[in-house]
Amino acid sequence: MSAARYDAIVVGAGAGGGVTAAILAEAGKRVLLLERGQDLTFTAIGRDHLRNQRLSQYGNNAGPDLDGHPRVAVDADGRERLVRPHEGGYQNNAAIVGGGTRVYGAQAWRFLPDDFRMATVYGVPTGSSLADWPLDYAELASHYERAEWELGVAGDGAASADLLPRERDYPMPPLPPTAQSRVLRRGADALGWATTPVPLLINSEPRDGRAACIRCQHCVGFACPVEAKNGTHNTLIPRALATGNCDLVTGATAARVATDRVGRAIGVDYFDRDETPQEVRAEVVILAAGAVETARLLLNSATTREPTGLGNGGDQVGRHLQGHAYTGVNARFAEPIYDGLGPGVSIATLRFNHGNDGIIGGGMLADEFILLPIIFQKRYLPPNLPRWGAVNKAFMREAYRYVTDVKGPTQEIPHPDGRVTLDPTVRDRWGLPVARFSGATHPETVRTATFLQDRAREWLDAAGAIQTWSTPPRPRLAAGQHQAGTCRMGDDPRTSVVDRWCRVHGHDNLFIADGSPHVTNGGVNPVLTILALAYRTAEGILRAW
Amino acid sequence: MSSFTATQEATLRAVVDRIIPPDDHPGGWEAGVGNYLTRQFAGDLAPLFGDYANFLAAIDAIARRLHGAPFAALPTATQDALLVQIESDAHGDDLARFFAVLVTHAMEGYYGDPGNGGNRDAVAWRMIGFEVRG
Ligand SMILES: Cc1cc2nc3c(=O)[nH]c(=O)nc-3n(C[C@H](O)[C@H](O)[C@H](O)COP(=O)(O)OP(=O)(O)OC[C@H]3O[C@@H](n4cnc5c(N)ncnc54)[C@H](O)[C@@H]3O)c2cc1C
Repeated sequence: MSAARYDAIVVGAGAGGGVTAAILAEAGKRVLLLERGQDLTFTAIGRDHLRNQRLSQYGNNAGPDLDGHPRVAVDADGRERLVRPHEGGYQNNAAIVGGGTRVYGAQAWRFLPDDFRMATVYGVPTGSSLADWPLDYAELASHYERAEWELGVAGDGAASADLLPRERDYPMPPLPPTAQSRVLRRGADALGWATTPVPLLINSEPRDGRAACIRCQHCVGFACPVEAKNGTHNTLIPRALATGNCDLVTGATAARVATDRVGRAIGVDYFDRDETPQEVRAEVVILAAGAVETARLLLNSATTREPTGLGNGGDQVGRHLQGHAYTGVNARFAEPIYDGLGPGVSIATLRFNHGNDGIIGGGMLADEFILLPIIFQKRYLPPNLPRWGAVNKAFMREAYRYVTDVKGPTQEIPHPDGRVTLDPTVRDRWGLPVARFSGATHPETVRTATFLQDRAREWLDAAGAIQTWSTPPRPRLAAGQHQAGTCRMGDDPRTSVVDRWCRVHGHDNLFIADGSPHVTNGGVNPVLTILALAYRTAEGILRAW
Repeated sequence: MSSFTATQEATLRAVVDRIIPPDDHPGGWEAGVGNYLTRQFAGDLAPLFGDYANFLAAIDAIARRLHGAPFAALPTATQDALLVQIESDAHGDDLARFFAVLVTHAMEGYYGDPGNGGNRDAVAWRMIGFEVRG
């Protein structure tokens, strides 16, 4: 039996994979889009407050299934833990058509120009693997714009134009401010800090045949009831399918990239939904399985020619794993600041992303999504509040509408030992070695995070907070929803995995189109950069075809 | 699923109502925390059922030893005092740790979504002002 043939196979129907599939299919290429998860409806994703992508207490709502997909987490003392997808340390994002974009919070940030040249701006801290990107903001700007317009972002470009130069404003105005953002605006004004509405991949007005946001309370971690939240599942993947050139196969888990004797990628071997092994062949293979699983795929695709994994000649695959240290401060106000208008996150400052005296990098600070009551109870209580009893109950009653937090993604200073490897013994349901996490971020990340925490407190105090509390940042391995960096981009195969076109070094026809190529991960949420880079990579693939 | 003895059940109910006491708004038990736990014992929390039974028996035994009455029959102030002792390790690590777990579960039942069996008619959400619109 001869294997099915396509022009291109894209592994992973998430952010980057969705873009890549659409651009190639629209150019007339026959594309196979493989996704290990399912295409779940709004109803199937549901609104279970204990099992979702925001609070995965007992499970999740966007995959992976709890059984059969273990990983191993190694802590600072070398202790190993077998972890399931809903457990701490798993570093989960999602496994579903749309990937993280199906249930994300939809913050749509561009990286700042200095985010692409961290080593040049700050030098390289001892022990870190801080480096410049091989491309700059200007090179990505038009792709950012394409992502903003084709998926649909609501925002106010003028509010950040000094830091993020742009040719064209966002396609939609921002959502109207919330009570919370008005209070924080007051604080920022008092401090003289510039703010911006948070750009969101959410329709603020009807667009593309889909409704405007109805300001519901279940945005981050859930699917949108009116499809006003723009992910690849309702934009680029439908576009890809509409061409008739793209087959989307769900429940299909890629096991390895198949290569020929000279190392050229010839296709992908995968397990279909009936767990039957399948082989498909194509001229080009694009991995977009997310930073953890893409690295794992390359490592699991070892051959006698490349015994440590494809593209891993420089021992770089899986290293520099980063996400974001998320630090912030909780605050209680004298006046109610909750008006129930979702998604909740609404105002931000980019003032501390760079230019902080004695600090490497920085990060954006923003207000909070609507907090589910159980999340509030689990994570937002002041330190001295009784954990149960009448006082606890009274606090819930009296404080829920008066508490918020300001927080943000601290730019991580990467460490080469923060990494994904293959676990030597643990296998998944198909018998493949699973991802094993070890190491942590560089200590400089903690210093930056501490600095940002102080700024968050300053902001909240100026806004009139009557009480603030927080926990100090600690050095950890942060990957999870913001995972990136495991197949870093660069010109030198000894220190990187892909070139500036996201082509795996030494493999003409093997590309990566997710967060893995990020050399550094910015001080903002990463998805718009993943989308923009995927546009650029797909266009590059077509140009070279 | 196995079930609690009548005494264990009464103890559980009393403990849940000290974790989330009734006031102008329903207490934990009235709001369905017991129902939440019953459902969870048939699923995610099945492995903990035995620990629950042991914990409930243990605190009841302590109540009888110190106060000469079952936990559920003690005045609420005495129940609170006993639970504070348990929380602060006065009766051993294991009980303290398990009490913290039970608190977590009770809160999930009370403040979680009604679909999980607790928070009957969204009473907890109405109490704090979380409204689901859309
Ligand atoms: C609750 C939540 C909130 C978030 N909020 C924001 C936000 O506000 N702003 C922001 O910028 N980012 C946010 N993110 C993160 C964002 O979703 C990710 O950055 C983004 O989805 C990553 O894109 P990706 O292409 O790298 O991978 P993904 O979108 O994760 O896609 C990878 C896909 O590959 C599939 N896959 C993996 N392995 C295989 C395999 N072997 N075979 C077949 N398929 C495979 C996965 O199932 C997945 O669907 C959020 C994420 C979550 C979960």
